[in-house]
Amino acid sequence: MSRPQTYVCAGGGGVGKTTASAALALTLARRGERVLVVSIDPARRLADALGVKLGGHATAVQMDAGDGALFAMMPDPRDSMQTFINILFENEPEALERMLKNRLYQMLENAVPGMHELVAMTLTWRAVDEHEVSALVIDTAPSRNAVDFISYPDRLAKLLGGRAVTWLSALARSDGEQRPKGRAGKLLDRVLGPAVGDLAGFFGELARVRGRFVELNEGMAELLLGSRSSYLVVAAPTGAARDDAAYLIRRLEKLIGRPAALIVNAAMAPERAWAQTLSGASETTAAMGRAIELLEREAERRARASQKVVESLQRRHANIPLWRLPFVEALSPREVVEQLSTALSSLVPA
Amino acid sequence: MTPDSASTLQASIDALPRLAPAIFVTGKGGVGKTTMAAGLVCAAVDAGTRAVLVEFGDGASGRRALGQARDRIEHVIIDPRRAVMQAAGPVFGSPLLAKIALGNFAMKPMINSAPALRELAVLELCRQTVVDNPGARVVFDMPATGHGVAWLRVAEQIGKLTRRGPLYDVCARVQNELLKPGRASIAVVTLPERLVLTETLELCQQLDEEVGLPVDRLVVNRVPPVPEAQALTDARRVAAAGGDVGAAAARLVEVLSVRSRMRAEVVEVLEQVALHEHARGLTRLPMAPADPHGPEVAAWLREAGAA
Repeated sequence: MSRPQTYVCAGGGGVGKTTASAALALTLARRGERVLVVSIDPARRLADALGVKLGGHATAVQMDAGDGALFAMMPDPRDSMQTFINILFENEPEALERMLKNRLYQMLENAVPGMHELVAMTLTWRAVDEHEVSALVIDTAPSRNAVDFISYPDRLAKLLGGRAVTWLSALARSDGEQRPKGRAGKLLDRVLGPAVGDLAGFFGELARVRGRFVELNEGMAELLLGSRSSYLVVAAPTGAARDDAAYLIRRLEKLIGRPAALIVNAAMAPERAWAQTLSGASETTAAMGRAIELLEREAERRARASQKVVESLQRRHANIPLWRLPFVEALSPREVVEQLSTALSSLVPA
Repeated sequence: MTPDSASTLQASIDALPRLAPAIFVTGKGGVGKTTMAAGLVCAAVDAGTRAVLVEFGDGASGRRALGQARDRIEHVIIDPRRAVMQAAGPVFGSPLLAKIALGNFAMKPMINSAPALRELAVLELCRQTVVDNPGARVVFDMPATGHGVAWLRVAEQIGKLTRRGPLYDVCARVQNELLKPGRASIAVVTLPERLVLTETLELCQQLDEEVGLPVDRLVVNRVPPVPEAQALTDARRVAAAGGDVGAAAARLVEVLSVRSRMRAEVVEVLEQVALHEHARGLTRLPMAPADPHGPEVAAWLREAGAA
C-alpha cells in the first residue's frame, strides 16, 4: 500500500479548525484525490460541518468533489479505551479478561491522554487501506498539547519495556499478595493502600502485549511522521488564538519540525462595496441606514482586531506561510465549508 | 417566542442562584472561559471582596484577559507538571520522603504517564488555595471540557480505589473541603449555537449527577446583535426594484436574513435551555468584535445580575 499525503491540522479551541480541515479535504478532493478526513476532536463538529452522520468507519460524503472522492470518519472517544484494549489483547483472551476487571483500568477507561488518538489512527490506517486513500486530513483535538500524542505511545512503549514495569509487576506477584521491595516500595504500599495491586496488575498486563503496542505505534508513526506528512496550525484573529498558535508552533518545531502553513480563519472581511452603493442611494430607508451602520461598525472593529493579530503572527512567524481565510457568515455549516474550500484552492500548493 | 416562554426565560434570568466562594469556570475550548473567569474576579473586586484568579497554564491568558485590572487582582498559576511533587509533601510526611518515593526510577515515568494522579494533585493545590484565602472569591479557569468532568471526579474515584492511607486522606479533604455544594459553584460558558448548546446541556447534567456540584451560572457568550426587523422588510422592497441599488439591497437582504435566522435559532435554543432542569443561572453576554477584558465583562455580568 502506498502512503497517503497527510495533513495534520492543529489549533486552540474555537478557531474553526474542524471547518478548515473539512474545507481542505474538499479542496484536495476537487483536485482529483481520494481524500479521507478524520476528526479526533472530541467536540465532534465534523459531522455537522459536512452534513452527514459519522462514526468509527469511513463514510462517503456527497459533496461536489469533481474527479476525486471524499470520505470522513469521527471515532467516538468514549469507545476508545475499550477498542484499544480489544485490539491490544486480540491474541490474549485471558489477560484481556483480567484487564477488564482491573479497577485502575475501569477508572482510567476514559481518561488516558493520547489513547483516543492512537485508536483513531489505528482505525484510520485500516480505512486508508480499504478505500485506497491518496490524501489524508487529520483534525486534532483543540488543545495546545494536541500534537503531543505523537510522542505519547513511544513514551508508553519505553515505559512498558523498562525496568519500572518489571519492578511494579513484581509488587503484585505471590498469588496477588503484594511484596513491596525496598524503601520506595514500602512507601508506595503505605500511600496507595490496596490500590497497589491494581496498579501493578495494570502495568503487568500491558507489558505482556508490549510487542503489539509497538506495532500500532509504528503504524501511527508511518502515517504521521513520514516524509509525506505536513502540519498546519489553525488560528483565529483573537489574542488567545494567537498565543495558542505560537505555543503549538514551538511544540511542533520541537517534536517534528516547522509547520507547512499557518491558517488564519475569519481574517478577511467580506467585500462590502454594496454597503457604499446603498449608503449613497435615495431608495435606502432610515431603518436600512441604521442596519448598514451597525454592520459596518462591527466589520470595521473586526477588521482592525484581525489586522492586528495577523500582523503580529506574521512578525512572530515570518518563516511560515500564512494563509488568510475570509470571514464567512452563512447559516449552513456545509456552505461555510464550500466557501472556505474555494478560498483554500489558491493557497494549498499542488 | 410565545409570551409564556418569554416570561419563563426572563424568570430564569431574574432568579440567579448565589455563587459559592470557589467558582470553577468550565466549557469547551474557545468559548471565552478565561474572559468569563476574569470578569468574575473583577466583579468581586469592584464590589469590595478580595478575589483570586487561578489559572493552569503559563499565566499569559489570564494576564491578557485581566487587561488593566491585572494590578488589582491576585493571579495564581498552578503548573500541572509540577503539581504532583508540590502536593505530595504532606502526603508522604515530608518533601524529602516524597522525593524518595516519587523520584524513584519506577515511579517517575509512571507519574509522567498517570493522568489521574496529576489531576488529583492539581485539585489538592486548588483546595489549598481556597483554604489560604478565607473570605475571598477564588475563580478557577478550568481546562476545556472533555477532561473537565473527569478531572472533578478524580478525587472520588481515587478515594474509592485506595480506601485508606494518606492518598485516601487527600481525596477525602478535596471532596469535603472543596467539591461540596455551598463551597464551590460551577459556571459553564457556552455559545449560542445549537450543537454547542446541546453538548453544554449534557455537560450540565453530568456535573449535576456525576460530580454533585450545582451549575450556578450558564453563560451564553457572544449573542450576536441583530438589526431591527424593519431594515429587512425595506431592503427586500428595494431589492425587488432591481438595478444597481436593487442588487446592493439584495446583498443586505442576504446578510440580514442570515442574522435574523441565527437570532431565531438562538432564541429557540435558549428557550429550551431555560426550561432545562439542570440549567440554572442562565446569563447572556453580548458578542464583541474584539477581545473583551475583565472589567468590561464584569460590567456585563453586573448588568445581567450575574456577578
